[in-house]
Amino acid sequence: MAIKDLTTAQARRPFQRRRKTCPFSGEGAPKIDYKDVRLLSRYVSERGKIVPSRITAVSALKQRELAKAIKRARFIGIMPYAVQ
Amino acid sequence: MALYEHIFLARQDVSQQQVEELTAALTEVLAAGGGKVTKNEYWGLKGLSYRIRKNRKAHYTLLNIEASAPAVAEMERQMRINEDILRFMTVRVDELEDGPSAMMQKRDRDDRDGRDGGRPDRGGDRAGFGGERRPRRF
Repeated sequence: MAIKDLTTAQARRPFQRRRKTCPFSGEGAPKIDYKDVRLLSRYVSERGKIVPSRITAVSALKQRELAKAIKRARFIGIMPYAVQ
Repeated sequence: MALYEHIFLARQDVSQQQVEELTAALTEVLAAGGGKVTKNEYWGLKGLSYRIRKNRKAHYTLLNIEASAPAVAEMERQMRINEDILRFMTVRVDELEDGPSAMMQKRDRDDRDGRDGGRPDRGGDRAGFGGERRPRRF
């Protein structure tokens, strides 16, 4: 998939979206913490399942970290294993 | 000496005072093993996401611990015996954070949300028609 130039945003053709970057990499990125429910809840679906990184664009390294944090949060009861 | 973050959940029927006594007792167990507690954070009676031993709520306490592994093992052994403790988790960390944890500062963190719009970004190929469609479920 081609990386789209941002300056052509208006003229952007359909079916070619710009590549998303990992929200946990780079400057000012939040730290993944199992106690931070608000941050973690953005990366689970409405059913409480962990959203795949191909959708959230989290890098593989950070996705592993994130998954571990979510599992810890579930264990201590601050996040659900399954909704309903 | 290793550093640990330790969270434990006490039964909903015990009072806050009893939880504090419990914390003090555990601190003592650690001290006997040559460790110490560098931070003690009581989160209060919080609702659980699912029932644990028929409890819908639990008292949460976070402890930052600096102790040797045998001391922590001894504390965990005693926690397993205590029926007021629903669950506990000890995580070894490279460094302990000083300030209040994410749980305590939750309320005044709205400033951060502007960074990424407050929801996960939907990735390239899936963001097709309409862009904002949520992923399929089930």
